[in-house]
Amino acid sequence: MVLGADSRCSVKKLASVIAAAAVLAVGLSGCSGSSGSQSSTGKVALTFWHGYTEADGGVLDQIVKDFNASQDKITITTQTKTWAVIDDTLLPALSSKNGPDLVAMTSDRLPVYAQKHALTSLDEFYSQASSNTAALKPEAVAMETVDGKKYGVPSGFVPLSVIYNKTMFAKAGISTFPTTWDQWVADAKKLTIDANGDGTPEQYGLALPDHATVGNGIWPSLFEGNGGSITNDAGTEATINSQANVDTLTYWAKAIRNDKISPTGLDGIAADKLFTAGKTAMEVGGPWMAGVATASKIDYGIAAIPAGPKSQAASAIGISLAITAQADSNKQKAAEQFLAYFNDKATSTKWSLGSGWPPLRTDVTVADVSSNATVAKLTAISPNTRPLLPGVVNSTDVLTAIDTATQKTVAGGDPKQLLDQAQTNITSALAK
Amino acid sequence: MTTLAQHRTIAATNTRSKRTRDPVRWLYCAAFLVVTVALMLPVIIIVLTAFKPASEVNAFPPSLFPHQWTFANFKAIFSALPFGRLIANSFGFAGGVTLFALMFDSLAAYALARLDFRGSRILLIVIIASLMIPFQATLIPIYKIVSDLGWVNTFAGLIAPRAADAFGIFFLRQFFLSLPRDLDNAARIDGASEWRIFRSIILPNAVPALMTLGIFTFVNNWNDLLWPLVFTTDQKMGTITSGLTLLTGPGGIIPQGIMMAGALIAILPLAIMFLLVQRRFIESVASTGLK
Amino acid sequence: MTTQQQLQRRRPYRPPGQLGGRTPLNGTFKRRATIVGFLAPALIVLAAFVGWPMISALQLSFTDASGFGTPRFVGFDNYVRIFTNPNIVRAMGNTALYAVLFTPLAIIVALVLALMLNSDRLPLRGFFRSSLFLPFIVSLAVAAFAWSYLLDPQIGLLNYWLQTAGIRIGNVLQDPVLAMPTVVLVAVWKSFGFYMVIFLAGLQDIPKSLYEAAQLDGANGWKRFIHVTFPMLSNTMTFVVIVALIAALQAFDQIYVLTGGGPYRSTETIVMQIYQSGFKDLDLGFASALSYVLLIVTLLLSLVQFLFFGRRGEDTAS
Repeated sequence: MVLGADSRCSVKKLASVIAAAAVLAVGLSGCSGSSGSQSSTGKVALTFWHGYTEADGGVLDQIVKDFNASQDKITITTQTKTWAVIDDTLLPALSSKNGPDLVAMTSDRLPVYAQKHALTSLDEFYSQASSNTAALKPEAVAMETVDGKKYGVPSGFVPLSVIYNKTMFAKAGISTFPTTWDQWVADAKKLTIDANGDGTPEQYGLALPDHATVGNGIWPSLFEGNGGSITNDAGTEATINSQANVDTLTYWAKAIRNDKISPTGLDGIAADKLFTAGKTAMEVGGPWMAGVATASKIDYGIAAIPAGPKSQAASAIGISLAITAQADSNKQKAAEQFLAYFNDKATSTKWSLGSGWPPLRTDVTVADVSSNATVAKLTAISPNTRPLLPGVVNSTDVLTAIDTATQKTVAGGDPKQLLDQAQTNITSALAK
Repeated sequence: MTTLAQHRTIAATNTRSKRTRDPVRWLYCAAFLVVTVALMLPVIIIVLTAFKPASEVNAFPPSLFPHQWTFANFKAIFSALPFGRLIANSFGFAGGVTLFALMFDSLAAYALARLDFRGSRILLIVIIASLMIPFQATLIPIYKIVSDLGWVNTFAGLIAPRAADAFGIFFLRQFFLSLPRDLDNAARIDGASEWRIFRSIILPNAVPALMTLGIFTFVNNWNDLLWPLVFTTDQKMGTITSGLTLLTGPGGIIPQGIMMAGALIAILPLAIMFLLVQRRFIESVASTGLK
Repeated sequence: MTTQQQLQRRRPYRPPGQLGGRTPLNGTFKRRATIVGFLAPALIVLAAFVGWPMISALQLSFTDASGFGTPRFVGFDNYVRIFTNPNIVRAMGNTALYAVLFTPLAIIVALVLALMLNSDRLPLRGFFRSSLFLPFIVSLAVAAFAWSYLLDPQIGLLNYWLQTAGIRIGNVLQDPVLAMPTVVLVAVWKSFGFYMVIFLAGLQDIPKSLYEAAQLDGANGWKRFIHVTFPMLSNTMTFVVIVALIAALQAFDQIYVLTGGGPYRSTETIVMQIYQSGFKDLDLGFASALSYVLLIVTLLLSLVQFLFFGRRGEDTAS
C-alpha cells in the first residue's frame, strides 16, 4: 500500500511538526499569574489592574513601586491592559476569584459594577482624615458616587478641550481663539475651504462627531453650554427634551449642514483621524491628542470649549480607582492605604505631571504643574468641568439614545421629535 | 451507435473547440486574476501599511504604497511587547489545540459515521447543537471550570476547552460517510478490529479532510481573541492577538502602522503553512487517484 | 459512559458483509467498549467544557445572576423581557436579515469559485487557490481595519479612487440602508475561502467516471452540474449550509468593529445584545436566556435544513 504509506507519512510529518511546536511552547510556559495571598507574618500582596498603557503607565508603576518601598507590609503588583480589555475581562476574572484587588476603570463603568456588588464601598475610607480625600475636587468625586455611596477614588478627571491647528489658523488670519459659539462657528466657516467648489470641502473648520463622540461628552458639553442637560442632578429623571436642547441641536445642525463646517456621520475616532490627516482645523478631543498631534508633526494649540449662550461648560472624562469585592478585609485595608498614599499632595502632583491630566486636588495650582505645558493649559481651563452622567448605572443605553438623536438631527431630522424620542428611551433606561 | 458521418462531425467539433479554447482559457485566467486581485486588496493594504511611517497612515490624500518605506513599526512591536514570547505562545496554543482536536475529533467522527449504535443520531444532533450557543454565553462557566481545576494561566487550561470541538466532529463525520464502505467491510469480514480499520484504512484516505480541518482549526485558534484575552491574566502567557490589543493608545486610538506590522507577522506563519500543506493537499488527492 | 438517550429504532436486518449495511456492534461488551473507546476522549472534553457550561447557562437564564453575589431565581422573567424589549426584537430582525443576505451569497460565491478552481481549464490553480484563501487567514479585527481604511469617507482609498472618476460613495458604514449590506459583504469576503475549500474537498471526491458517463449521454455543462455535481455534493452541502447559517446567526466580531451596531442599531445582532447584557450591563441571567432563544431558533432552522438535504445524503451514502 504505497499510497497509504505516503499519505500517512505526510500526516505524521504535519503532526510531528505541530507536536514539536506544542511541546516547545509548553516547555517555555511560565508559571501561573499573580494572585494575592497573605502569609502568616501579616504581609499582604495585592494585584492592581490599570489601563494606562503609554508613558503614563510607567509613571503609575513607579508610584506603585515607591509605595512598595515606603513600607514593608504591602506589595502591589500591577497588570497593564487597555481600558476596553479590563472591561471585558474583569467580570470573568472576578466571578471565578481570579481578579485583581485594585482596579482602575473608566468612570462611566463604575456605577454598574458598584450596583452589582463587584466593588467595595469606600464611604468609611472617605470619612477618615488619613485618606487625604478632603482636598479632592468635588466634581471628580461625584463621578465616583453611586446611590449616595462612594465606590472609587478619582485617578483622572479632565475636561474635553478643543485642539486646533495653529498653521491653518495663521493662514486664515485668525489670531485669537474664539470664546463664544458664534465666534466659534464664524471662525470655523473661515477655516472651511472648498477650493474646487464641488460642494465637499477639502479642509473642514471643526470636525464635530454626531455619535460615539470622544468620552461621549461633546454633545453633553454643548447642551450644558445652552443651559440644558440630559438628566436631573440625581440621575433619576430624563431632562433631554428641553427647549434649550432643541435650540442647541438646531443651531449646530445648521452649522454642520448648511455652513458645512464639519462632515456628517463622524464618530470620535474618525474626527481624531481627520485632525491628524490635516483635513480639519479644529476638533474637540481628549488630552492624548497633544501627543498624537506632535507625532503627526502638527503645530497644535489647546483651548477651552467656547462658551454657549448660557455658560462655558465641558464634559469630563473620568478614570476611577476602586477596590474589588474579591479583596478580603485585610487586603481592603491594605488597598485603602495605597489609595491614601495616592491622594497625598506630592504623589498627586507627580501623577498629574506624569499622566498629562490636570491635578485631582483643589490645592494643586497651575503654578505647581507649570513644568508640563499641556497639563498647565488643561488645568487652567478645568474650572467648568461637568461630570458626565454621574452615578447612572445604565449609561450605555442613555448614551445610545443621545447618539441616535444627535446623529439623526445632523442627518437632517427634526430635533424636537428626536429629542422626545430620546426622552422616552432615556426614561426607560434610567428605570431599569 | 454513431455513424461515420457523426464521428467526423464530432471530431471536427473537437478540433474547432480546441483551437478556440486556448485564448478563451487565458481570457478566463485574466478575468479570474482581476477578481482575485480585487479580493486581495484589503490584504495588500495590510501588508503595505506595515511599512508606512506613522505620519503616512492617516494622511490625506491616501496612497496604497508607502512614500517612505520603513521598518520602524516592526522594531516598535518587538520593543513594546515580548513579541517573540507571544509568537511562541500562539504556536503552542493553536498547535496544541489542532493536535488534540484532530485526534479526538477523528475518533469520535469514526464512531458516528461507521459504528452503528443506538442513539448515535441523537448524539450527533446534541453535538451539532452545541455549536449553536455563542461563546460569549459559555465563556464564564468555562473559565470557572478551568479555574477550579487550577489551570489558570497555563497551557493546559488554554488548550483543554478546545481539545475536541463539535465542528471538527461534524465535518469529519460527513467526510467519513462519503468514503465507500467496500474496503472497511472487507476488512471487517477478515476480522480486523475497528481500531485497525480506522488507523489503516479510513485515516489514510481522509488525509485531505484532515489537512483541511487541521488548517481551519489552527487558523481559527491562532486568530482567536476573546478566549486568550480573558483567560491569560499574565501578560507573558498571552498570544499574538491578545498582545496586540495592548497597543491601543489612550482614547482608543490604534497605531495602525504598528498594528499592521503585528498583523503581518501573525499572517506569515499561517500563509507559509498553508502554502506547504496546500501542495501536499493537491498531491495527496491526486495520488488517491480516480475512484 | 455515553450520555445519549436510548431510542427504539426499527430497521430491516442487514448482515454486515453486505454493501450498504452498517455493522451492528451492539450486544457484546467488547463492541460496546470499542464504541466508548472511540467516543470517550472527545465526549469527555465536550461534556466538561461545552455540555456543563451549557447546562450552567440554562440554569443562569432563570435567575438574575450578575457574576457577583448570590443569584435569585426569577422564573421566566428574563424570557419575557426578551420579547418585550424593542431593542432585542429589533436585533432579532437584524440577525434574520443578516442571515438571509449572508448565507446564500457566501455559499454561492464559494461554490462557483470552487467549481472554477476544480476545472481543468484554469491555469495557475495553485496560485489562485492560495490567494483566494488569504482573506480567511487574516484575523477579524485586522480585516475590519483594512476595510475601514478602504471605506472611510474622508481619507479612505476607495473613496479617493472613485472620486477621481467622479463617483461618490459617501459614508456606507453609517448609512442606515447601506450599512447592513456592507457588513455582509465584508463577512462574505472573509469567509468564502473557508467554504470554498470545503467544497473543493467535496468536489474532488466525485469520480471523474460519472462526468464522462454524463458527457457521453450528451449532457452539457449545466446539466452535468444538476445531475452529477449537485447530488454528489449533498453531504458537503448539508454541512456548509448548517455551518454558514450558524456563523451568520452568531455574527458579532466584524460588525462590532465596523459599525458598533449602528447606525441607530440597524446592524445590531443578537450576539451583540448578548455581549452587551452579559459584559456591559452585567446581567448574566438575561444574556443566558437570550443565548438559549438563539440556540433554539438555530436548532429549528438547522433541523429543517438537515431534513431537506440530509435525506438525499442518506441515499447516496448507503
